[in-house]
Amino acid sequence: MDEALSAPVLALEGIRRSFGPVEVLHGVDLALRPGRVHALIGENGAGKSTTMKIMAGYQPASAGRLLVGGEEVRFKTMAEAEARGVVMIHQEFNLAEHLTVEQNLFLGRELKRGILLDKAAMRRRTRELLARLDRPLDPDLPVARLSNSDKQMLEIAKALSREARVLIMDEPTAVLTLAETAVLMEQIRALRAAGTAILFTSHKLDEVKALADDLTIMRDGAVVYSGSAEALSPHDMAEAMVGREMSDLFPPKPSLDPAAPLALSVRGLEVPGHASGISFDLRKGEILGVAGLIGAGRTETFEGLCGLRPAHGEIRLFGESVRFRAPSEALAQGVAYLTEDRKTRGLLLAKGMRENLTLQALRKFARILVDRRAEERALDRAVREFDIRAGSRGMLVGNLSGGNQQKLLFAKTLLSEPRVLIADEPTRGVDIGAKQQIYALLRELAAQGLAVVVISSEMQELIGLADRILVMRQGRILGEVAGAEMTEEAVVRYAMGVARHVRPGEIRSEETA
Amino acid sequence: MTAPLPASSPTPAAFAPRRRISMTVVGPILALILLAALGAWLNPNFLSAANITNVLARSAFIGIIAVGMTFVITAGGLDLSVGSMAAFIAGLMIMVMNAALPSMGVGIPIVLLGMGAALLAGLLAGLLNGLLITKLGIEAFIVTLGSMGIYRSLVTWLADGGTLSLDFQLRSFYQPIYYGGIFGVSWPIVVFGLVAILGEIVMRSTVFGRWCAAIGSNEQVAKYSSVKVARVRLATYVMLGLLVGLAVIMYVPRLGSASASTGLLWELEAIAAVIIGGTLLKGGFGRVWGTVVGVLILSLIGNILNLTDLVSPYLNGAIQGLIIVLAVILQREGKSGA
Amino acid sequence: MKRILAGLCLTTAMSLSAPAFAETKTVGVSIPAATHGWAGGMNYFAQEAVKRLEATYPDLDFVLATASDPAKQVNDIEDMVATRNISALVVLPFESEPLTGPVKAVADAGVWVTVVDRGLSVEGIEDLYVAGDNPGFGRVAGEFMAKSLPEGGKIVVLRGIPTTIDNERVEGFQAALEGSGVEILAMEHGNWNRDKAFEVTQDFLSKYPQIDAVWASDDDMSVGALAAIEAAGRKDVKFVLGGAGMKEMIARTRDGDAMIPANVTYPPAMIATAIEVTALGLVSSAPVSGRFVIGSVLVTPENAAQYYYPDSPF
Repeated sequence: MDEALSAPVLALEGIRRSFGPVEVLHGVDLALRPGRVHALIGENGAGKSTTMKIMAGYQPASAGRLLVGGEEVRFKTMAEAEARGVVMIHQEFNLAEHLTVEQNLFLGRELKRGILLDKAAMRRRTRELLARLDRPLDPDLPVARLSNSDKQMLEIAKALSREARVLIMDEPTAVLTLAETAVLMEQIRALRAAGTAILFTSHKLDEVKALADDLTIMRDGAVVYSGSAEALSPHDMAEAMVGREMSDLFPPKPSLDPAAPLALSVRGLEVPGHASGISFDLRKGEILGVAGLIGAGRTETFEGLCGLRPAHGEIRLFGESVRFRAPSEALAQGVAYLTEDRKTRGLLLAKGMRENLTLQALRKFARILVDRRAEERALDRAVREFDIRAGSRGMLVGNLSGGNQQKLLFAKTLLSEPRVLIADEPTRGVDIGAKQQIYALLRELAAQGLAVVVISSEMQELIGLADRILVMRQGRILGEVAGAEMTEEAVVRYAMGVARHVRPGEIRSEETA
Repeated sequence: MTAPLPASSPTPAAFAPRRRISMTVVGPILALILLAALGAWLNPNFLSAANITNVLARSAFIGIIAVGMTFVITAGGLDLSVGSMAAFIAGLMIMVMNAALPSMGVGIPIVLLGMGAALLAGLLAGLLNGLLITKLGIEAFIVTLGSMGIYRSLVTWLADGGTLSLDFQLRSFYQPIYYGGIFGVSWPIVVFGLVAILGEIVMRSTVFGRWCAAIGSNEQVAKYSSVKVARVRLATYVMLGLLVGLAVIMYVPRLGSASASTGLLWELEAIAAVIIGGTLLKGGFGRVWGTVVGVLILSLIGNILNLTDLVSPYLNGAIQGLIIVLAVILQREGKSGA
Repeated sequence: MKRILAGLCLTTAMSLSAPAFAETKTVGVSIPAATHGWAGGMNYFAQEAVKRLEATYPDLDFVLATASDPAKQVNDIEDMVATRNISALVVLPFESEPLTGPVKAVADAGVWVTVVDRGLSVEGIEDLYVAGDNPGFGRVAGEFMAKSLPEGGKIVVLRGIPTTIDNERVEGFQAALEGSGVEILAMEHGNWNRDKAFEVTQDFLSKYPQIDAVWASDDDMSVGALAAIEAAGRKDVKFVLGGAGMKEMIARTRDGDAMIPANVTYPPAMIATAIEVTALGLVSSAPVSGRFVIGSVLVTPENAAQYYYPDSPF
């Protein structure tokens, strides 16, 4: 730190926060300075979200001082915080899907001429703001049709239009691809250069390393590290977060039994509009990775396979020809799909853990009536085995942290005892400790004889976890890498369409025919 | 199949069972008790066996329908057609029984035939609503608004603008179904009670009830959890249709007639009862006992206003509206404070 | 029909004469939908009259529209003027206020207007007014009560849907009871609906240990009241007096049923009278404008047979 530190534009001093009798923040200090990027990291449940919400006026602190420009303030609403130039961007975007880019940008503070809306002026301002971010989106496009990264940009543009001095971003890269992440990082650097104070959280420690100037690490509601980001390596950061030494992130890969039976054999699967000519094999006990850019048709392919969307093609399950017209049929045959979108497709956020856990396998708990005590026992077991940490047993699932939600989703999916598990983005928005647990779990399941497909956008994850990786692009399988060939470079070459490989299914079908 | 995870923390979450009396539970019951106390205080006859029987028996039609409505609403649907459907089924049942009278004569078989016709008509009507909603994907509001008009017109047409009346002798024979009873409890009350108890069990403790709540809470999640969304939703409408048929079986012997004004606004009373009882109008959570309380609250208001000269009869509607809104506010306050 | 015409009470004489035209003319008839028994009967008589008159007068066309609410009725009337070019309009207003303006516009355009049963809020719009006698309806019922019950007799009253008609009837009823010593215990709206009347009567029976008679004021409500009394097994109620002459009730009076000793007419057939007289005015030069009030008559076992229309749905 050779430069003289400027005065903090926003500072927390000894912030405490209690929910009922439970204190979740135990005196947090944190200072954001203009023109600097500050990363806040910690495991899920460490108190990051609460800290950010107090900064942005979503929640009041129970004790402690909040200073803006050196002056003590007390935000009663987020609008008061915004008026002071403190804006927060949520992980789940706060955008009205059916409104256009421009309408979202000015939502709640529309420009008017007399009593009528001044659409021309709003459109002009929209173009200016998006041009500043180097994202010339059509102002009339409905937000529902934007990609995740464009939504992120729109959120940032919204913050800029409110003249944010402090920008708080909750996991801005969680739903972005590598390329999109790179663009975002450029924008963040540009904002920093313009003097904005930026706080962000991320579970991707290499990003933190690349982007942050200052770093705060939290654990169990308290700050355990505060200082320069440069001083710590990603490994040090992970250890500080978890509070113990991190062994290897990925479990060792055992050598595969070549005589293991084929669990799933797919030939010429077509998912109209999304994928065609999909052929691959999956052995019992194997973890098959599926890589590709967002939009490559990975999710759609496997949703088609499981009967979640119309598809046709030849599917053999342990040698038997099957056809799934509905997810219930796939599940009855032991093929389970774990969705990438746990909040809108995976879990009932307004319900408790018990109802969620048993929803998919509910028939197992019911003769005529649902046996609630058996459900409670299953929950006890799931909480223990999957290390689900919840404040109380009756807690709504929507209030669990992302990692705990994901563990619950795993518990739910595995409760139906599948033979083939398709896990779509199994570690999205999950902290490093939980990630490690999930990797170990997947490997353990495979060792027990489950056939596992892991779809992921995180290259390192696939390389570290999978036995083989299929690479998809534009609805087709372009290649397969395995063993020593599994490098990031090889996968990216296929994903970008630079290299082309003979489809493995074609070879195998000849071998096994 | 489940592999134990290597615990990253030695302390798993401490689960202290925490139960708190919530206003969402107490609210409707409190409203019912207050109303009953008010009634007893204003008129000593209120608590007489005869009056209690009257109130419960007349609640039975809407009550039976409202139990079915609870499932439809919990699964994220709505049915506006039940009042008209009841009128139509009542008309149909009367016509079937009158038509069969010359050949079958007065007796139990003809009553059973009428009952069968009512249940079958209810099942078909519910199936029609349900298929249009689930197969063609039309909004429940629009489908049932349409069928509401259709059934209302049909019954007017069947009755030629007047009233369909059950043959007098047949009615005298059939009457005990409404006025008679067992152990001093009249049949409509017995049937309503059974439907309510079964409904509560189905909602609370069966796969079907849980699926209804899951679909109403988030259809996508239900779909991804291998719930047969369309089939469950269809079943809620069919069940409601059957219960409308059952309500009609209780209704016809009372006055032995059906006309264009039969069942007028029953759909709104049933929906109001469901919501007063704490079921969410947008779906995802439902409770049948709450609906029963809601039905009783609505009936008691009318009864108390008739038994007393508290307010001008012109204001009856206003008092009812006020109490409905109050009952719901009571619950909301509970929710925000919870 | 003749019997109804015989009961006509001509209050105003008239002068206008309508010249006969050779070309086809259209008569619009706009009435409320059959939402209760009386309206059902009225619909029946309107349809019958239209059928008969179309056969009788080949030069006349009829358009019949039923409306379930006042706004729909306004639309019906506007459509008739705009698309059917009607020469005469027979209207039974759903409610007086909302229909007054639109009907006045029709009259101002030179169309013959016949108003039935419910008067418009502004006088002098219609060419012909045919109505029942609502205060008279209440008065006849009240006089019967006063005559049939001893001094100190206790009655309860089921009122209709809160409207001017209902108010006029109840006022007439109360006026007729004055000084008779008959006490009205309570009045409650039964909305001319069987189910509602059943429930209200049940509650009256719970509330009052002694009720001598019920004025149900409408035969649909009589049905509900009778069922409630029978179910309660109450012997203190000596009779129920309905009104408007539903055929089943007339039959029971005719057959000497002690619970239904009488009825008071309020003939739904008045719509037929109105259509018939309007048609007559269009095809002939007979003078037909003015006010016709059809009096309410007490039906007793002696004269019940002549008020019994077996084909009417009401």
